Amino acid sequence: MAQAASARDEETFELLITRVFDAPRSLVFRVWTSPEHLYRWWGPKDFTTPSVKMDFRPGGAYRSVIRSPKGVDHVMIGTYREIVEPERIVFTFSWEGEEGERGMETLVTVTFADEGGKTKLTFHQAPFQTVENRDSHVEGWSGVMDRLAAYLAVGNHAGLE
Amino acid sequence: MSTDRLSATFAALADPTRRAILARLALGEASVSELAEPFDMSLPAVSKHLKVLENAGLITRGREAQWRPCKLEAAPLRDIAGWVETYRRFWEASFDRLDEYLKEVQKGEGNGPSS
Repeated sequence: MAQAASARDEETFELLITRVFDAPRSLVFRVWTSPEHLYRWWGPKDFTTPSVKMDFRPGGAYRSVIRSPKGVDHVMIGTYREIVEPERIVFTFSWEGEEGERGMETLVTVTFADEGGKTKLTFHQAPFQTVENRDSHVEGWSGVMDRLAAYLAVGNHAGLE
Repeated sequence: MSTDRLSATFAALADPTRRAILARLALGEASVSELAEPFDMSLPAVSKHLKVLENAGLITRGREAQWRPCKLEAAPLRDIAGWVETYRRFWEASFDRLDEYLKEVQKGEGNGPSS
């Protein structure tokens, strides 16, 4: 019973999406790895991708800009934490504010599993703390608060309007 | 939703002990010592965690001086769920496009291995 409650609790603040694509795993992995592919699908329908910069290696940074149909730009930034071809990509993710400040950091883990020629993609995103923050309790919590304040200060990203 | 409250909620949830405390309270009210039981932790340490949860509005505490039972408050968690939901919409929409793009690419490359 405690376990059920715990699982329910997790769901309320972590995002988990599972999706099967009718394409081989090597291809699904590949379209995550370079700007030429990401330009074509990154962001919701009718959004364009004016810029994707990515240094696709562990420790490498990325910065991509998506533009809404109304012409508003949204900037995503982060760092690749782990790359295991063709199984897994782990990266940090934040929205960047208008003055270049970094919003609350989340950690994204994308897993690719082969399912008889198709590919099951598992996407997990959760609020994330840096190691420094985790190791320093007092500073850590205020650090999280600062990042959240910065994130929220840049406006409501909810509708991506 | 108040942005301050969302911030406080995220900060409060950024700790596994506090998440475990909330999971326990999802089953019903509990005293501080009951909450401390599963953890290798002093009562003051647990009280500190409870203070954070209380400030975030995630729990309320009874008024009785001796036994101040802790009670889960669900509203801030619902706010978080709303925040997560915006991300879900964002990614789902991207994956719709990814699905189309993969079809396109495979048409271009032809079927079967090229070697």
